[in-house]
Amino acid sequence: MKRIFIDPAKCDGCKNCTLACMASHQDMTPRKGTLAEIRQAMYALDLTDPAAQSRNRIISDGRGGYSPIFCRHCDIPDCAGACMSGALEKNMETGLVEYNGDKCAACYMCVMNCRYGVPAVTPDRKRMVKCDFCQHLEEGPACVRACPKKAIEVREV
Amino acid sequence: MNSCTDCLSRNTCASADKPMENYIRSLPLETAHHRVATQETKCGFGLTGVCCRLCANGPCRITPDAPRGICGASADTIVARNFLRAVAAGSGCYIHVVENTARQLKNTGLHKDKIRSEKALNHLAEIFGVTGTDKYDLCVKVADAVLSDLYRPEYEQMELVEKLAYAPRVKKWKELGIMPGGAKGEVFNNIVKTSTNLSSDPVEMLVSCLRLGVSTGLYGLQLTNLLNDVVLGDPEIRPAPVGMNVIDPDYINILITGHQHSLFTYIQDRLLDADVVEKAKAAGAKGFKLVGCTCVGQDLQLRGAHYTEIFDGHAGNNYISEAVLSCGAIDAVLSEFNCTLPGIETICDELKIKQICLDVVAKKANAEYIPFNYETRQADGDRIIDEIIAAYKARRGNVPMNLFTDHGNKNTLTGVSEGSLKAFLGGSWKPLIDLIVKGKIKGLAGVVGCSSVAYGHDTLTAELTKELIAKDILVLTAGCSSGGLENIGLMTPEAAELAGPNLKAVCKELGIPPVLNFGPCLAIGRLEIVATEIAEELGVDLPQLPLVLSAAQWLEEQALADGAFALALGLPLHLGVPPFITGSKLVTKVLTEDMVGLTGGRVIVDGNGKSAANTLEAIIEEKRKALNI
Repeated sequence: MKRIFIDPAKCDGCKNCTLACMASHQDMTPRKGTLAEIRQAMYALDLTDPAAQSRNRIISDGRGGYSPIFCRHCDIPDCAGACMSGALEKNMETGLVEYNGDKCAACYMCVMNCRYGVPAVTPDRKRMVKCDFCQHLEEGPACVRACPKKAIEVREV
Repeated sequence: MNSCTDCLSRNTCASADKPMENYIRSLPLETAHHRVATQETKCGFGLTGVCCRLCANGPCRITPDAPRGICGASADTIVARNFLRAVAAGSGCYIHVVENTARQLKNTGLHKDKIRSEKALNHLAEIFGVTGTDKYDLCVKVADAVLSDLYRPEYEQMELVEKLAYAPRVKKWKELGIMPGGAKGEVFNNIVKTSTNLSSDPVEMLVSCLRLGVSTGLYGLQLTNLLNDVVLGDPEIRPAPVGMNVIDPDYINILITGHQHSLFTYIQDRLLDADVVEKAKAAGAKGFKLVGCTCVGQDLQLRGAHYTEIFDGHAGNNYISEAVLSCGAIDAVLSEFNCTLPGIETICDELKIKQICLDVVAKKANAEYIPFNYETRQADGDRIIDEIIAAYKARRGNVPMNLFTDHGNKNTLTGVSEGSLKAFLGGSWKPLIDLIVKGKIKGLAGVVGCSSVAYGHDTLTAELTKELIAKDILVLTAGCSSGGLENIGLMTPEAAELAGPNLKAVCKELGIPPVLNFGPCLAIGRLEIVATEIAEELGVDLPQLPLVLSAAQWLEEQALADGAFALALGLPLHLGVPPFITGSKLVTKVLTEDMVGLTGGRVIVDGNGKSAANTLEAIIEEKRKALNI
């Protein structure tokens, strides 16, 4: 099983992970997830469209540093535990917390329960979004590929 | 620098020039080609042009959650402002070049120095409508006409614009309100516009880019060539060697880099004087040779017929300079402008190569600055020569040689200009027009501008060029694109084999390659003179011609100012990567779509050589159809 690990000390708040996440989840989705593909997808991004949502974000830690907020795909996920409709489920094989929008009742218990503040409401308020570990990309999560500081990395657990 | 090869990244970028790619990969020194890998991750906000650091509230970046900067600037404002700033800086570069070139011509006249082309001088005098008491006085008058235009305030229109530009274009520019004021004033005014909390109007800023394009193109590009022709000699078509094979280690070799060829006039003549050659011989060399790199080498190659003794040939473009220096046989770098890469500094240190800079705008950190000054050029020149001889003595035998004697070729066709090409065609454009009308040549494509490495060294330029000639489109080049294409043999007569059947037949009949080498990026101005003269002969405006431009591997702000001129001329302009504009829907739409309705031009962004060539071919076919040919 793989997870994204975060080293906040290395983060300089450039938000390239945020853009890479948006680029990875737009219509013109990259397939392999090479840096060249992510770059092309970035060119195509509409940066003023609220629907181009990122699943991660960088916030100030209040002490001059940054806190990268990424889904940890928790062993005991608060979001899935709070989900009444069964839209969020922990996949015991991959270890990922997966989301099925078709089952989602938009109750946002996930948003209220996640201790890291990862799940977000879509602009139409009919769904939520969270990290899907870029399972559509052969090379793994776009955010990790795009981080110039190597503040986030994928590790086997 | 550590010369242990194992410590370096062996992962160099791809090059269209495979032997060069292998040579660079084997080097014990680090080059730009090695650093591509370490800069592979690009900032998405920078790429899309929505990062603003114009004030202490920033950097602000546009995202769906933050659609405006703290000041309230939208993505459109930020992108247009960044773009205009780049175009203004690029314009400033070319205007600096033409200013020094005109000053050089004026000093040549005042000091009654050598004039190599009276024909070029009289041609300019005729265009400007000035007369003089003799040829020296005429040099002063011609130079003053240019300088006084450059120094006009921004609110006063430059006088030579209407004399230089094609009448239908001038009419269009007046309609659009883009007739430029004094060229330096335009740069100044537009830099002001882009400062903190000044202009926020993206459309006005894009229109200003066009105005800067006109002053850059007519003065920085076209006039620099024509002024240089007087002092340095008219280009003549001839075969010449290109690539690293031109370097002869038996000589004291000076690599020249920059864009201001006229600053070298004195020293390049002096290096052939008997007393200077004696000095070189006393040091153990056969004499001096200049080796070309970047545009100034390309310009010297263009006029090579006048400099057969001192000039060994053009080694390659900007991103070859580090490799050229690594060969060990270069003893000094004389530079006066870009594209003198900072990367050469560590190599020069390691190989004890003397760096001398003639113009402070291009001062390299470890170069000795000996400003070019017309009055003291003799004493300064001798000092430079002595320093270079000292470097030769100190380094030869003490630094490793790593020659690359079979790189490049010996028969690249050079010296093509608006004048030499027309003369080659028998003094008229009619033969070329006939070939186009008959479809033997489908159209013309200017593959111009820089060389870059981030996505491959000259790879897109070469791929696109090969695709275009295979479609019977004659390619004309100017800039570092020339340096890359000539080293891979596309400008040798044998390259005709790569052209489509019709173009191949034309090339074989005339004994020319399918890619014609106009030399430096400044010569983009020459291509545009060719286009204008053809349009004039046909009685059409420029956007109607079956002519396209591509700055496939544009690199610099200067290229963006050139590009703005292409758009002002109404020409389709292909770019391999977007100029940091895609974060603004408005700016992208104006440049790639709406521009057609304004000037007739437009930007086409495509990083794929095959599909870009298809798009450009379709445009050419569309224009042929509209002309009924």
